[in-house]
Amino acid sequence: MSTTAAPGVPARLLRAAPWVALVVVLVVLPQVLQPYWVNRVTGWIPLAIAALGLNLLTGYNGQISVGHGALYGLGAYATALVVNEWDWPFLAAIAVGAVVCFGAGVVIGLPALRIKGLYLALVTLAVATLFPQLVEQFSDTTGGTTGLAVTSLQEYRGRMRERSVKFEPPEWTGLAADQWRYYLFLALAAVCFVIVANIVSSRVGRSLVAIRDNEVAAEVSGVNVAATKVFTFGISAALAGVGGGLLALYNARVSSGSFTLAVSLYFLVAVVLGGPATTLGPALGAVLYGLFKDVVEAEVLPEAWKPASPLLLGALLVVTVLVAPGGIVGTTRQVRARFTARRLRGTTPP
Amino acid sequence: MHRPLTVRLAALLAATTLVVTACGRDDGTDSATTDDTTETTTADDGSGGEAAAFINPDEDCDDYQGTAGIEGTTIKIGTVRPAAGPYAIYDKVTAGLDAFVTATNNKGGVKAGDGKTYTLELVKEDDAYDPAQTPAKVQKLVEQDGVFAIVGQIGTANNLAVRETLNDACVPSIALATGSTEWGKADEFPWFIGGLPSYATEAVAFLDWLKTDQPAAKIALLYQDDDFGKAYQAAIAKYVEGTEMTIAAEQAFNPLNETSPESKVADLASSGADVFFVGIGGAPCPAALRSVPASWTPLTYVSITCASKTAMSLAQGKDEGVYSTQATMDPASTEDQADERVQAFIADAGAAGMAQADIEGGVTTAGWNFGAIFVRALELAPTVDRATVMNTLYSMEGENFGMLRPEVQVNTDGAEDPWLIEDLRIIKRVGGQWTKVADSVSYDGQSNDLAG
Repeated sequence: MSTTAAPGVPARLLRAAPWVALVVVLVVLPQVLQPYWVNRVTGWIPLAIAALGLNLLTGYNGQISVGHGALYGLGAYATALVVNEWDWPFLAAIAVGAVVCFGAGVVIGLPALRIKGLYLALVTLAVATLFPQLVEQFSDTTGGTTGLAVTSLQEYRGRMRERSVKFEPPEWTGLAADQWRYYLFLALAAVCFVIVANIVSSRVGRSLVAIRDNEVAAEVSGVNVAATKVFTFGISAALAGVGGGLLALYNARVSSGSFTLAVSLYFLVAVVLGGPATTLGPALGAVLYGLFKDVVEAEVLPEAWKPASPLLLGALLVVTVLVAPGGIVGTTRQVRARFTARRLRGTTPP
Repeated sequence: MHRPLTVRLAALLAATTLVVTACGRDDGTDSATTDDTTETTTADDGSGGEAAAFINPDEDCDDYQGTAGIEGTTIKIGTVRPAAGPYAIYDKVTAGLDAFVTATNNKGGVKAGDGKTYTLELVKEDDAYDPAQTPAKVQKLVEQDGVFAIVGQIGTANNLAVRETLNDACVPSIALATGSTEWGKADEFPWFIGGLPSYATEAVAFLDWLKTDQPAAKIALLYQDDDFGKAYQAAIAKYVEGTEMTIAAEQAFNPLNETSPESKVADLASSGADVFFVGIGGAPCPAALRSVPASWTPLTYVSITCASKTAMSLAQGKDEGVYSTQATMDPASTEDQADERVQAFIADAGAAGMAQADIEGGVTTAGWNFGAIFVRALELAPTVDRATVMNTLYSMEGENFGMLRPEVQVNTDGAEDPWLIEDLRIIKRVGGQWTKVADSVSYDGQSNDLAG
């Protein structure tokens, strides 16, 4: 055993090295960035979690949804209302948002059993389009276009008043508020990623892929197609709800304008850019999207070019699909596999 | 075989995390807004004169950075506006503010109350009139660009989206380009002060005038479906209570997902109302006037935010006979052009690079005046720091500056009277120009009470 283990350890370490580097970068980031940039990066995390959920549904299970912006919004409003009305802790409020979205996902997932492909995309498109209208319809509760502040009772100028929620770091951490919020968001994102990684590598995960590749074959092989598809929709929606809940707490405000159809499309952009059917892909896609919005659009593009930024984003997407159809992660894997194959061919004795 | 490696990795990560978090952030990486080196820093606590009790940064702020945004003798200010889309007309407001900053600097700067002369620098951001985009833009201005104050930010919902953030950071937002009644809550949000009259006061000024001729007016109300429009709705509802006036019909117009108010106007036209109150802004406001059918001839009133030559020119002639209210001079009016301050505005704005159409457009005048509000506060403030400037704004007595009409008197008194502009006159559109139909009426100190 010891003779085979020795050469294996460095190889595993080599494989683990990028992950270790990634974790170190994520942990160190708020220590070296200015608060403004820590806040920007924190704002990418809700998008990454929602994209992770969409990837489970679209990337792994093959069900197309352009309605995740609505589920993201549902999670945001549920979290905001729970914090405002019941004064629950943030984590509990996010959990409520996730449960509500799971239910909504199951409800949308049931008709999806009979609707597939482009038709399913159209149905979810309707959900995404209707959501802001619904929010405005019930503006007494949701705040409509003006929005709803996420508040808690705090002392200010000698009186207790309803004021925007804050992330106050415990004194022992020695962290600033922006750093504390970043680590909390990152921790929750890590939990979501571990859950998805476990689902994907489990029997359920294999069922998801089997259904995507050939539904009939999967059913013949004993996969409960209906239950798996509905469950996937539910989990995917719950993750979008978690992302939405974090967004509500991040902005301390929710408004209908934050959950338009465009948001659903940004999730798709993140999935496609990062790499569909990969665990890390959506997060990378979200980071790329965040970099585009907060660095390229906000800092690099001249004022006159800024209105054309959606066009640039679209062009970037087209180029990615043409050059790297597997997204960043998928294409990296393909390239690495090609190099490995070439190396193995080179070392094979004649 | 796998476990030891996993454990070692976990230990490594945990150790890294602990070391890093224990280190904390270097002081050098703190917010760019920290500025302790400026020459103009005078040991102050914002206790500027008699209004010192209103904002006391020692009590109200966790981390008060009173002179952030002042570098040497330059004061950096920021603003957020829609640069494109149906509300891009408000970009002209910012153009007016921009021209004011240039004109002020062309004249050598502002001689502040501390005896020093400062130049101004304006940083502009675009939120497309979408309140969901505003927080990131304002964060950039405050944390990245390190502005001293936000001046003339456009949009009620947009300002609401950042009100608490700015208040908690003790960053002034001065001369908000909105008259929502929300800005009357100065006790709760003392770092915000409006630059327009309250929409409630505006509506009441019109209804007070209307009452003399049409005491039983039937009003058709078109209002913007946000706090801007709802301020009109609430104030009118409160006013008509107990009078013979009635709201015959009302329609909400959503600025974010509706492009034309035509169907709403058609519905209001069928109500039989004899007064049409247009409580919406941007390009949809003149579009509402264009949509009035020939068969409906009500007395029409447009929001003060719409009463510019630029907006009225988009009504394609349907602006004739329309009423509004006014507190500032009108550079497009031949009568006002004889006034010295209008002549100075035309010369200074022209020298600052403003096009003639914009000079006479009226929208730019609003932005120009927002700049004037900020500069007047600097001139009066005994020391130039954020709290003192705000306290100065909240303790003005009989001030008249910028493009305000000569009869307008600016009086404020902390949370008791946080409104800068409360004197309004009624005007009517005749032959492509605004003409006075009633003298200015002062609602000094009443704006908060008039809100619905």
